[in-house]
Amino acid sequence: MLRNIALKGLRDIRRGFLWWSLGLAGFVALIVSVWPTVHSNPSLNKLAQDYPEALQAFLAFGGAVDYSSPAGYLGIELFSLMVPLLLLVAAIGTGAGAIAGEEERGTLELLLANPVSRTKVVLEKTAALVLEIAGLGLVLWLALWIGALLAKMDISAAHLAAATLMAVLLALAYGTIAILVGAATGKRTVAIGLTAAAAVAAYLVNGLAPLVHALEVPQKLSPFYHYAVSDPLRHGLSLTHIAVLVAIGGVATALAPYLFSRRDVAT
Amino acid sequence: MAEVIRAEQLTKSYGQNRGIIDVDFSVEGGEVFGYLGPNGAGKSTTIRLLLDLIRPTSGRLTLFGLDSRRKSVEIRRRLGYLPGDLRLYERMTGGDLLTYFGHLRGLDGLQRGRQLAERLDLDLGRQIKELSRGNRQKVGIVQAFMHEPDLLVLDEPTSGLDPLVQETFSELVAEATRRGGTIFLSSHVLSEVQHMADRVGLIREGRLDLVDSVENLRAAFTHVEATFAEPPPADAFAGVAGVERIEQDGNVVRFPFEGEIDPLLKALARFHVKALDVREADLEDVFLARYRGEAPNAS
Repeated sequence: MLRNIALKGLRDIRRGFLWWSLGLAGFVALIVSVWPTVHSNPSLNKLAQDYPEALQAFLAFGGAVDYSSPAGYLGIELFSLMVPLLLLVAAIGTGAGAIAGEEERGTLELLLANPVSRTKVVLEKTAALVLEIAGLGLVLWLALWIGALLAKMDISAAHLAAATLMAVLLALAYGTIAILVGAATGKRTVAIGLTAAAAVAAYLVNGLAPLVHALEVPQKLSPFYHYAVSDPLRHGLSLTHIAVLVAIGGVATALAPYLFSRRDVAT
Repeated sequence: MAEVIRAEQLTKSYGQNRGIIDVDFSVEGGEVFGYLGPNGAGKSTTIRLLLDLIRPTSGRLTLFGLDSRRKSVEIRRRLGYLPGDLRLYERMTGGDLLTYFGHLRGLDGLQRGRQLAERLDLDLGRQIKELSRGNRQKVGIVQAFMHEPDLLVLDEPTSGLDPLVQETFSELVAEATRRGGTIFLSSHVLSEVQHMADRVGLIREGRLDLVDSVENLRAAFTHVEATFAEPPPADAFAGVAGVERIEQDGNVVRFPFEGEIDPLLKALARFHVKALDVREADLEDVFLARYRGEAPNAS
């Protein structure tokens, strides 16, 4: 695990990863275990469908608010908010720590005394982030799949994987933005703050767009729109929306080494 | 031997902080160059420029004939660095840290690192967060020396080390130069630099004031102590060329002296001299004489 910067990055988060995995799996188990009760209670669905439109837009994941199907239920309970929230917290935390965290602790100075370019440092740290979030996605998908089997939910493993993949890509888009801000500024709190603020803004724009006419165009720029709009739990993947999320991460990853290489490293 | 470091008009300006201004010097292969100055004078700024951690505002800096910025990775392959403010990965053991950096440097194994640790009496199995300041410094020294670099950049290397380990450290420096290695050594402890360096540069308020060999600097100054039969008048030697900062303690008069000794001897001979001690000055005397109390010695 000490062969290169990427593996060392994974080694650093190995304990954290275990706890995140347990947390995600436990949360999925809790939500899935309630499904039989929800399923056998049609009045809940009726209640939800009577909610104001604004609330429905926030509740649902892609398609309509629907408590009667596994896809609708998992969308509302997991994928509309909690799953992206958890993965974003993990990704932004790791991303902000990648360059800025190490710079603030002062270890970057010694790392950069080795014959490694700053570009290599950023790219390997990005690789570690991708592996971490993909690993959490895998744990999430396994928990969902096993949970769905046990709770006899009628939903395919492929559709669960599709939704999980979109959540992973969304988290990576913000994780790489956090690396970018950290690489450009060297300040961890700035990286966390700016990235989290951008995520909250994008989430609200996407959620409010059905109500506020003026937000229709900005909504298309929101990563949360592309995350959910193809309704992955019901319809699987859409290449266009995957491409948008990957492009955001790609641009952030291309800019980070450039900005990092141009500036002074703090003492 | 070829030039290992060359700085020309090297300038780094920060917002409010002082950086360095028009610094010119060169370091030859195989020599130990002592870089002296008070804290905040620009020592670390210069060092961080060598490492490409910060970038010059203007001027030129080459190491091994390579541009410090564009060829930084190549330069760092041949360089070992011990930072003045050493920060290590707290949750790693010393051995883990050496393994990690060994991989980044493409070293075959850690034999050399282990040998160094043994000589410094450093336990590589302990977590760095549990190590004392001296032992952390040893980890820093081992990682700087373990790949036998052509150039060692050492910023206040002996801080926190006990005298015995300081001795081992001097041996390591001597061995490195015997191998043909070059040492850039920054310090504010003059005795340490005097002991190890061939040449010194003195930086004050961002400007390199003086570069000369330790030998020349010391030879230029002597330290005079004369004991008289009875106290001479207070201003007896004030007018003599090369005499400054006279200290008088009853019958004994002491001062650093620079220049031709004959006028001094004649001036002394006007009184009844009981004893005369003329010896080579320490670097410290040199700097005290030159800077009238603004010497870089802070310890």
